[in-house]
This record gives sequence, C-alpha cells and structure tokens, in this order.
Amino acid sequence: MTDVAVQIDQVSKKFRLYKERNQSLKSAIMRGRKSVHEDFWALKDISFDINAGETFGLVGDNGSGKSTLLKCMAQILYPDKGSIAMKGRVAALLEVGSGFHPELSGRENIFLNGSILGMSKQEIIAKFDSIVDFSGVSEFIDQPVKNYSSGMYVRLGFSVAIHVDPDILLVDEVLAVGDETFQQKCADKFVEFRREGKTVIIVSHALGTMMTMCDRLAWLNHGELQKVGEPESVVAAYRSIAH
Amino acid sequence: MGAGGTDADTGHCILVEAVTRRRNVFRDGSVAVSTEFKRSRELFVNLTQRELKGKYKRTVLGQLWSLANPLALMLVYTFVFAFIFRIAPPVGSPSGLDAFPLWLLCGLLPWIFFSNVVQQGMGVLLANEGLIKKVYFPRNVLIFSSAASIAVNWGIEMLVLVIALMIAGAYGVLLWMPIVILFMLLLAIFAVGIALMLSIANVHFRDTQYFVGIILQLGMYLTPVIYPITLVQSLSDDVGNLVAGISLVDLYRLNPMERFLSAFRSLLYDNAWPTLGDTIACILLAAIVFALGWVVFRRNERKLAEIL
Repeated sequence: MTDVAVQIDQVSKKFRLYKERNQSLKSAIMRGRKSVHEDFWALKDISFDINAGETFGLVGDNGSGKSTLLKCMAQILYPDKGSIAMKGRVAALLEVGSGFHPELSGRENIFLNGSILGMSKQEIIAKFDSIVDFSGVSEFIDQPVKNYSSGMYVRLGFSVAIHVDPDILLVDEVLAVGDETFQQKCADKFVEFRREGKTVIIVSHALGTMMTMCDRLAWLNHGELQKVGEPESVVAAYRSIAH
Repeated sequence: MGAGGTDADTGHCILVEAVTRRRNVFRDGSVAVSTEFKRSRELFVNLTQRELKGKYKRTVLGQLWSLANPLALMLVYTFVFAFIFRIAPPVGSPSGLDAFPLWLLCGLLPWIFFSNVVQQGMGVLLANEGLIKKVYFPRNVLIFSSAASIAVNWGIEMLVLVIALMIAGAYGVLLWMPIVILFMLLLAIFAVGIALMLSIANVHFRDTQYFVGIILQLGMYLTPVIYPITLVQSLSDDVGNLVAGISLVDLYRLNPMERFLSAFRSLLYDNAWPTLGDTIACILLAAIVFALGWVVFRRNERKLAEIL
C-alpha cells in the first residue's frame, strides 16, 4: 500500500549570494572577476519520502526553503548534493499562464501551453472541452488572450495545468486564483485527485487549510527539516516556535 | 509511429522517467535522451508555430512581410553596388546568368538567415525567462524553434529565388535543388550551433547581444555577399604574400560564411558542384560548431533558472 512516490535523499541546495555581480563585460574586466559571492545553503541535507496517493504539505516561514525544494522536485532547480527520485508523471503549478502568447487566441494558447507542460497533441484534443469548460472562458476562447481579464487569464492557465493529469502534482500557493466559484472548482478538483490516488504536494502559508487538506506535513526552517508527520503535531510544533 | 502509438509512448515515458529521474542522468543516459526527444518534438512544433503565427498577427500582408526585407535590401544594394559602384560579378557558368540582383540574392538570403538565427537565438533565453523559471522543459527547444521559424521564412524566400532564377533562364537549378537543400541544412546546423553557444554567453554577459550585433554587421562586409570574391583575389594578388606564403585572400577565406556562400552561389547561380574544399569545409564547420554548441548548452542548461 505504501508505495513511495517521491524519495528525497540528502538533498542540499546552494545559492550564491552576490555581493558584486558583473553581468556586463566592462565591469567584469575592470574588476578582474565576474563576481564575488558567498554560498548560501537554501536546503541542508533534507531526506524524507512522500507516499503515493498522499496529499503532502510543506510549511515554514518565508525563506525557509520550501519553494526551493518544490522547484527541485519540478526539475527547475537541481540539487547540489543528494538526489530526488520521482515515480510517475510530474506537473508543477508554480505559475499559471506562463508561456501564453498574448496575440494568439485562447484556443491556440491551450495547445501551446499544454505542450510546454508536456501533454501530447492527442491528449490536448481529448481534454480540450474539459479544459475550456473548467476555465469558464468558453465565450472568449477564440479571442487573443491579451484581451482577457487577469482573472480569465489565470483561470485558463490553471485549467490547462490541472488537466496535465499527473501522478504527482506540485502546487505552490496558487490555490488562491479566480473568484469564489472557481476556487470551489479547484478544491473539488483536488478532492478528485485524492480520490484517484494521485500524489499532491502543496506549499503554503495557510496552516488552517493545510491541516484539513494534507495527510502529512513537513516543516522546514532555514533550510533544515524540522519535523515530518501528522498535520496536528507538525503545526503545533511549528506554532510553538514561531509564536 | 507518431500519431498511432501515443498511448504506448506516454506509458513508456512515464516508466523511463520514473527510473531515470535522478541527478545527472540525462547527460549520460541515452534512454532518457530519447524520451526527452519525444517530448521535445511536439513542443518544438508548437513553439515554432507560436513564433510564426504570432509574428505577423494583425498585419494586412501577413507572411508576405517576411519577403519585404530581402526584397528591399536587394533593390538598395543593386542600385548602389551594380549601378553606382559598377560591381560586375562573373557570369554564371554553365548557367549563363548575368544579373546582379539574382547573383546578390544567392548569397544575401543565406546570409540573412544565418544572421537572424544567431541574433534571435541569442536572445531567446532572456526573452523566455519567465517560462524557464517556472516550468521544466528541455530548454534547447527554444533555440531550435526560433531557428525553425526563421528557416520557414528562408525556405519561402529561396523558393521565390529559384522561380526567379528559372524565369531568368537557369532551368538547370531545379536539378540542383536536392543539393541546395542539403547545404541549407548544413548552414542551419552551423547557425544553430553558434546560437546555442551565444545564448548561454548572453545569459552570463548581456553585452554579447550588442557585441555580436556589430560583428554580424561587419561580417556582412567581410563576406562576399554584395561583391564577388574575385575582387578580393585581385587585391590580394596586388599586395602579394603577407607572411610565410599566406596571402590576403587566405586570411579572408578563414571566414566560415565565405565557404557557405561560395557553395550556394555555385549551386544556385552557376548550377555547378561546389568545390570539394568548400563542401568539406561546410560539413566540418556544421558538425564541429554544432557539437560544441550542444556541449556548451548541455553544461549550462541546468543552471539557467538560477542565473537568469
């Protein structure tokens, strides 16, 4: 029953904090170096497993490294030490609607964005109606997206992303998009994901929602893993330190 | 495959992805590279379409605009260099063509293609910064699709040129089309190799795009685009040997684009085989430069989200 979906093994991630960064050739030559930097470890030796079918939350203060960890899972960043193994198709909802071309219609952008997110053409054709339906912009689907309101833009982007039909879904605080009806749709979609036994990994500050939604939580502080476990105990520990 | 076997393909992808999603695996894992390729293919097509469709949206003439630029250049250069400076390129042999505008276009169109691929490819990572920081996908697709969208326009231009050449009497050019297409591919590979390298350089140093812009402008005049190499040859003969048996024209011919243009002129304007030397040079240049560009890009690809 407990298949491991994500295995995070001694992951460390280093960022360079630039005191001086010479991105122009002139300053690089004048100063005789490209940059002066200090290493900053955003993640320090993190190891834990996430089971398949689990809704898993990452909590922590700003700058605790939770988003960095999520980006490592999404293969946008690469850990400097350790490894992350993901079993199954991964989709990341880090920012929706990125890659939309403003001059192209909603229809064209669904195909474009879908393929950026890794869907095949047949897949997008099959899910097209459902994507449009979910986004609620069907009236404007042949209009260029630059004429969309920002809410419509985000809803369409979110709708494409959520239809990638991943085994593992990574979500970074994008739950708060659209109006109330749309948020309700999203919440329903997450419930559906869960029922289908998909793994969902969420990063958020909203401790209340996290406690009700997640099966387990991990708490990160200054790049170090503090606690993994039942939401109640993790949140209690987090609160006792933070407040 | 393609249309039929997607379900199986996707299943396969998932499996392979599951096994290989580890650090450093793509660099040496050939299995992973092939799944990457499958995934890239459709993205490549879509991004190329985005480029093509988006570019001339809301214009009356649409795609015709892509022909306007080379046509305008042709008129200007023909007026200045054929009528004022009276440059007379050698008559095409065996085609018998003797028309400066056509001779010019045989070199100008490949040059414009090369220059556009390099210039646009160089900036494409910066232009898609938002995408790179938020979504995982093989980043080199950006360079390839940018080059492909330019190649589509180039293809149309070349088609128009070939028709013009035939109207001017060089029917033989039709027979040479397969070889022309082969050389077009070589030039495209060469240009993409350079774009791969420079796009990375441009992320580190934003100067690159301005610097290379100037180099390309100078390059056009240091390449026999608007004047024949015979003029350089006679200048070189006047000067004589520079050092150790190296003449001016030898130095001049170090320019890789000279080789490509010479090959295109042979095929299109003369309707004859390019020299063996030019052919070998073009093949080697394409192979070496592309391999170099590929390696440089692979090495830096993973860091892009961080350094952008």
